[in-house]
Amino acid sequence: MRHRDPMSDEQRHELDALDRALSGEPVDPTHRELEDLVREVRATAPEMTPGFAARLQEEVRSGFPTSQERPPLRDRRALAGRWWMLLPAAGSLAAVIVALVIVLGAGSSETITTFSGKATTFPVERDAQTEEASPSSGVTADSADGSADRANSAPAQRARRSAPSRAAPSVSPPPPAASSNPAGPSTTAIAPARARKVERSAVLALRTPEGEFERTTDAVIATVSRFGGIVASSQIGASDSMGGEATFDLRIPTERLDRALAALSKLGHVTERNQSLQDITASFASAQERLTDARAERRGLLRALERATTQSAIGSLKAQLRTVSSRISGVKGELSSLRRRADLSRVDLTVRGSGVSGGATGGGDWTPGDAAADALRVIEVFAGVMLVALAVLVPLGLIAGLGVLVVRTGRRRRRESALDRG
Amino acid sequence: MATPPNTASESFDALYRRCARDMYAYVYTLLGDDASAEDVTALAFERAFRRRTTFDSRRGSERGWLFGIARNAALDELRRRRRSAPMLGDLPDDSARAPEEEADLAVRRATVRVALAALDPRDRELVALKFHGGLSNAEIAAVLGTSESNAGTRVHRAVGKLREACHAPS
Repeated sequence: MRHRDPMSDEQRHELDALDRALSGEPVDPTHRELEDLVREVRATAPEMTPGFAARLQEEVRSGFPTSQERPPLRDRRALAGRWWMLLPAAGSLAAVIVALVIVLGAGSSETITTFSGKATTFPVERDAQTEEASPSSGVTADSADGSADRANSAPAQRARRSAPSRAAPSVSPPPPAASSNPAGPSTTAIAPARARKVERSAVLALRTPEGEFERTTDAVIATVSRFGGIVASSQIGASDSMGGEATFDLRIPTERLDRALAALSKLGHVTERNQSLQDITASFASAQERLTDARAERRGLLRALERATTQSAIGSLKAQLRTVSSRISGVKGELSSLRRRADLSRVDLTVRGSGVSGGATGGGDWTPGDAAADALRVIEVFAGVMLVALAVLVPLGLIAGLGVLVVRTGRRRRRESALDRG
Repeated sequence: MATPPNTASESFDALYRRCARDMYAYVYTLLGDDASAEDVTALAFERAFRRRTTFDSRRGSERGWLFGIARNAALDELRRRRRSAPMLGDLPDDSARAPEEEADLAVRRATVRVALAALDPRDRELVALKFHGGLSNAEIAAVLGTSESNAGTRVHRAVGKLREACHAPS
């Protein structure tokens, strides 16, 4: 530890006198001895020989061109004296690398989150594409049924969408296979498959990016419309802090369900996706049989009514006809409901929005508030990166500084030890 | 801001002319022989010439910077030789240069030489820096890596020892 060694006034005066004597200025008579000492010591000063002085003078004038005796030493010492200068650069480089790793790691974690969210999406989308490309998947029956429906009831479906009240009569002529496939014997082999009726439903949950809630809900409606579906009901609750939550009860044409689900899944991070199938062929066939029987019964009643002669018989037949007609109407309604369930798949969609940070309003145009929020976010990220960099750089700098201090102190002490040996 | 004092050879030449004799005397005082003093002096000037762009005027004077380089070179030489500098035997003999000098003058100078040789090497170095190098206390502090106050105290102490040694009976 270096301690201060304050000088007394007498010491100061003597040192001042010494400096004056060394500079050739007159000194106080009380310090005349110092003046003599300076003169005597200087008189003993060793002097360069003229030859050495001339050689050195020439070296200085020419810029030491012939220093081949010591260049390795000089170069080595120059490097040895400056290696520590690389430490801050190395520390900075390490800090930048660590910061990049952390930033990219944070980014990849978000990406992983994003991908993890879409991880359920990608296979599902792949399945959807597979389903669309290959009718041999598990939904083949439905696709076949969908094909049957495309051939049979798509116009009726469109008619139902435009005029639902007229949809029921469009499905009334039984049986569908006979009426929809008038191609003859060649199509009879696939008639049973086309007769199958499958009801499909799906549950889909999306999480929207920050500030994208409103845009996503709008996109849901647009997507449903694009695929010819309808929004049976919806409930949208939005808040700036929470981002909001919306639930949609959708009806999507079954033949477009897979593509519609794929499109909806792209609107956000899929957090849940489930699909279910329910075979309603038996119910459909049963209703058709009951309708056929009822119609046959009605035809018989009508024939009996033509042959009736008594008023009581006529009244009884009319009453039976009313009953049968009512039953036929009920069965038609049941068939219409079953066909609607097969033609339109139900999708329960939930959209959850992430909370909006800062003053961002979420969705819509990019406002000055959004810009301020973005700027704040950039500053936060930059500050974080700088903090991480400092967390690395400061210890490295301290270690480097300590190392330099130790090296310099050690070198100085070794040099000073040369004087101690004297 | 680092201001290279000797970016031009002329300015370094001027520095050489101002300091060469004093620096040689200082180095000789540390090493004690002509050959080593010449080698170290030449090496110190060459190092200074190579490093002249690293000089920072905020950290001291050119003279102090140059003597610092010379000191490091001299101490390295001392360490390399693993021996201390003999002072008395190798000091130049004034009587040979000035045979016409009076006897009492020769005696006084011999007394000073003996007193210098009797000093501790650190004190002898301080005397050399002060008397031969003509450095101020601030410059000596820069050369030794200490404070100006401490340097002044040490110089005062070394001069006091030299005065005592000069007055000591032979």
